Amino acid sequence: MANFKENIKRINSSESISGRMPDYDAIVVGAGNAGSAAAITMASKGLNVLLVDRADPPGAKNLSGGVLWGNDLAEILPKWQTEAPLERFIDNKKIGFLTEKSSIVIDFKTEFFRDNKIAHSVLRAKFDPWMAKKAKEAGALVIPGITVESLAIEDRTVVGIKESGDTITANVVLLAEGVNPRLSIEAGLRKPLQDRELSVGVKEVIKLSAQKIEDRFNLTKESGMASEYIVGSLGNLNIGAFFYTNKESISLGIVSPMEELRRNGVTHTYDLIEKFKSHPSIAPLIEGGTTIEYGAHLIPEGGIDSVPQLYGNGYMLLGDAAGLAFSNGLVLQGMNYAIVSGIKAGEAVAEAKARNDFTAKSLAVYEQKLGSTYALKDLKTFKDIRKVTNNPKMYTVYPQLLEGILLETLWERGQPKKKTRDVIGEAASKLSVGKVKALTDLYGIYRRM
Amino acid sequence: MIDIKEKLGTIKYDVDKEYPHITVDDAICAKCPHHFCVMACPAQCYTLQNGKLLFNYEDCVECGTCSVACDQGSVTWHYPKAGKGVVYKQG
Repeated sequence: MANFKENIKRINSSESISGRMPDYDAIVVGAGNAGSAAAITMASKGLNVLLVDRADPPGAKNLSGGVLWGNDLAEILPKWQTEAPLERFIDNKKIGFLTEKSSIVIDFKTEFFRDNKIAHSVLRAKFDPWMAKKAKEAGALVIPGITVESLAIEDRTVVGIKESGDTITANVVLLAEGVNPRLSIEAGLRKPLQDRELSVGVKEVIKLSAQKIEDRFNLTKESGMASEYIVGSLGNLNIGAFFYTNKESISLGIVSPMEELRRNGVTHTYDLIEKFKSHPSIAPLIEGGTTIEYGAHLIPEGGIDSVPQLYGNGYMLLGDAAGLAFSNGLVLQGMNYAIVSGIKAGEAVAEAKARNDFTAKSLAVYEQKLGSTYALKDLKTFKDIRKVTNNPKMYTVYPQLLEGILLETLWERGQPKKKTRDVIGEAASKLSVGKVKALTDLYGIYRRM
Repeated sequence: MIDIKEKLGTIKYDVDKEYPHITVDDAICAKCPHHFCVMACPAQCYTLQNGKLLFNYEDCVECGTCSVACDQGSVTWHYPKAGKGVVYKQG
């Protein structure tokens, strides 16, 4: 705290702010991927930037799956692959279904991933402080351990932040405060969070030696594996799960839609992760491992419908705080969306400064820029994806159908074999829904996915 | 099966003993028809004892789940102050 008081220019909160020169060109709230990317972008362009985070060291409250796709990061930190504290580059991606007794997985291992090493497993408490350090090196003032109490608002314009009775002012405040954006909500810049736009992520980091990980998952010293599952085997709950390899640990966890949890109403989120870990195809993979850290985090999964107004007079919303994350059940991404939003917000602030205009009209360029990237395009393209990810048949009926077909085809039981056509026909006839209904439903999924 | 208590023991906290960053309204909780918070909270901060809701903020990982789970208006939710609370080492 002493550090904070000594380092930042401040004015007494009772004084009027209008008419003064702001303390900073921009204040960034939150040193996650979005906030640090924005701070790096702005500071590199010579702007006067303050980056605050409520954790000390910055990033120590951040948690994600997490696999980082570094395409955007490379734009601002070209040497990230050699300098950043990364775990393993992913060259093996698995996606699939878990039923009660089976796992049905596509195991995709490819030289394409190996050539550019663009996806890496990361541990955020190690990775995020590095990104904040890069913001400092670029010239931003980084102050950790600051919980901003509220936004300073005058004449319907965000003019700064308030903390411990002090007001620190800026031309623009970039709200990169994460999935639970208290400041933005309290200031009415976005609506309170709702069940339909959230999942609860519960995670464990399980220590396992590098040797064991490499042997068990058929990996080299640097390569890694990332799996994502659709899980219909945990009671009557339909959830997602992930399993990633780090250097000397496994990151695994479950992603439970809040609506599912409420509908179910009888299962503890912390028990669900145990059920996932004890699945017959998961348990052997973590055999002998020790849980070294448990954690949990909300995940924005509301899609384009829950993306709020991204900017206004003197402010912008970034990353998770703006609902910028992607999920279609098999792909779950957020960090890359956060980084690209940070870069575009930073560029927009630099342009606004050149015009010396920080009104909503001037900051609108942020949305234009973001709209030209995959970040907003994906959310628009997949606007109906929740009809797929919320479809209970995706978790139970179809995996069971697949399981039935595979059992009939691959399991020798000393019975006369059947033609594929008959295998599928019989498996389909055992479904709890009619064939026509199932086909219509599958077509709907195909169209939206 | 690892008990949740044991799991919470793996997390490092710098607990602010002066300031509970989340508070609940006992009168509202007493009338709550579902106590969904008990199921939703991943850190077992909410428990039921003889039908009465008990809350502790010390094990909170600041995820915000309870602020959404509670639709009765009982939960008042703030972030902890000045670096207090959960300190992830892995994240």
